[in-house]
Amino acid sequence: MGSDRQGRIIFALPNKGRMRDPALRLLESAGIRWLGEERAYLSKTTDPDIDILSVRAADIPVYVYYGIADLGITGRDIVAETGLEVYELADLRFGSCDLVVAVSGESGIKSPLEIPHGSKVATEFPHITKAYFDELGIQVETITLKGAVEIAPRLGLATAIVDISSTGATLEKNRLAAIGKVMSSSARLICNKISYKTKYDKVEAITRKLKELSP
Amino acid sequence: MGPEEARAYLLVEGRFREILRKWGYKEVRTSTLDYFDIIRGGAGEGFTDSIFKVQDYDGRLLSLRGEVTTQIARMLASKAKDEGRLCYITNCIRYLESRNLSLREYWQAGAELIGGERISADAEAVALALEMLDSVGIRASVDLGSMGVIRKLMERYGIRDYKGLAGAIASKSIDGLRKVTSDSEALEAFTLLMTKRGGAELIERISDEAGCLKEECEYFRSLYRALEAYGCSSRVFVDLSTIREMDYYNDLVFEIFTPGMGLPIGGGGRYDAMMKGFGIDTTATGFALSIDLCIKALGGADWGKNNDMLRVYYQDGHLEKAIALVRSMRGKGKCCTLDAYRGERSGILVGERTFILESGEEYGI
Repeated sequence: MGSDRQGRIIFALPNKGRMRDPALRLLESAGIRWLGEERAYLSKTTDPDIDILSVRAADIPVYVYYGIADLGITGRDIVAETGLEVYELADLRFGSCDLVVAVSGESGIKSPLEIPHGSKVATEFPHITKAYFDELGIQVETITLKGAVEIAPRLGLATAIVDISSTGATLEKNRLAAIGKVMSSSARLICNKISYKTKYDKVEAITRKLKELSP
Repeated sequence: MGPEEARAYLLVEGRFREILRKWGYKEVRTSTLDYFDIIRGGAGEGFTDSIFKVQDYDGRLLSLRGEVTTQIARMLASKAKDEGRLCYITNCIRYLESRNLSLREYWQAGAELIGGERISADAEAVALALEMLDSVGIRASVDLGSMGVIRKLMERYGIRDYKGLAGAIASKSIDGLRKVTSDSEALEAFTLLMTKRGGAELIERISDEAGCLKEECEYFRSLYRALEAYGCSSRVFVDLSTIREMDYYNDLVFEIFTPGMGLPIGGGGRYDAMMKGFGIDTTATGFALSIDLCIKALGGADWGKNNDMLRVYYQDGHLEKAIALVRSMRGKGKCCTLDAYRGERSGILVGERTFILESGEEYGI
């Protein structure tokens, strides 16, 4: 197991995407500078007790849940989608976005409640989507896609999508209209439940510093 | 599970059994199938969603054993009324998303103490769990939580949404907490509860904040004194964000963990309320350890081989003589196998004469 070494912390960060650079900058301002090479999945930092594991943002809760990584930075939406039990120690206040329901501008649908029963909804977040529509009492068929969700309505694959939107530009470009907010998300500091206990002092010190430095 | 792995399980289970026996726990075996309604009544909706269900011939819903505590509580209501200490080592089956755990069948060792005095029984459960783990060389620690503290704070601040609160506490999520309450005093008390970990003094800090936990302070102080007498208090911490999945715990809850394992290797707590639900007016506390995670925690441990095994071979026409030899060896407590000779180079060969294959020396027992 990666994080066996007593007192050493493995910190999982997204290996690409909109959260990677702000996460690296935040750590750097906390005195933890990444010393790795691009594409290396495990890298040292200027803090001899902290190594950085670079993996897909969507997989970070999994690595943290199993204790392969002690700490991780990933989106709240991603943590909620995996449904894995990890501690959410801090809102780091970057990477803000909303998870929204969107439909084709020409569909005439103005609210999620107007989406007909049995409609197909394309998303990268099937669990959150199902829970959201269950709550509304609308039975929909969720279609899980791994990207480019925004083209699904135009291609006739789905009536609606549930996707992240930070500025709304992508939706607009694809002639989609956001008609409801499922949740707000931003980057979170997450922690393995056992690491929190066995490496409490170090985890607490890092959490405190990152909280102070979060805008 | 192949023979090597099975041997590791047997060794760990054997040590656990020995400790449980020394502490006066009697082993029971519960049924693989049970009426689903009964299990649901005990363990709660969330847990029962994840157990396998099958239909009986008359259409009644049955469930496969997913945990044992509820079964034992029911056994006490009918068959074992006067027993105070029961234990089990068994397999359980649950539907778990493959992402969370790769195995749906898992092995547990557990103990239930019924009718004991609150502090002495809770301390016994924690100390026994640690001693069982010590016996196999796992140096574990325990985090204590308290459903009683959470319930009192909910009452104090008028919070009704237990599910939302429990979810927020279990993930130490301040966002989640804000969804449940906007009362600034409640936020402060629960934030303290969620973010601090320490000894009995932590309860006092929260009690000072909320002004309603006097009894709990006294309980935790006494519990720590008892754990000190057991010699394990330095390995026991208070972390009130410790919440167990089962609904039946109504007071102390605890989780057992060891460095390097990402998941708790065991846990337990007090479930007086479930006993009352089964019509038994008594107290009960207990815990279960995951044998699978213990084996994993022991990693590359050398489980040894069956070195005392002797292989006996016979040549054509000498089977009866060889059977007489192995019978006599087994009668003297030796472990041996008997097979036809196919040119093996080690073992004992029974033919015109009986000799050790490696050395050619005559073999006599």
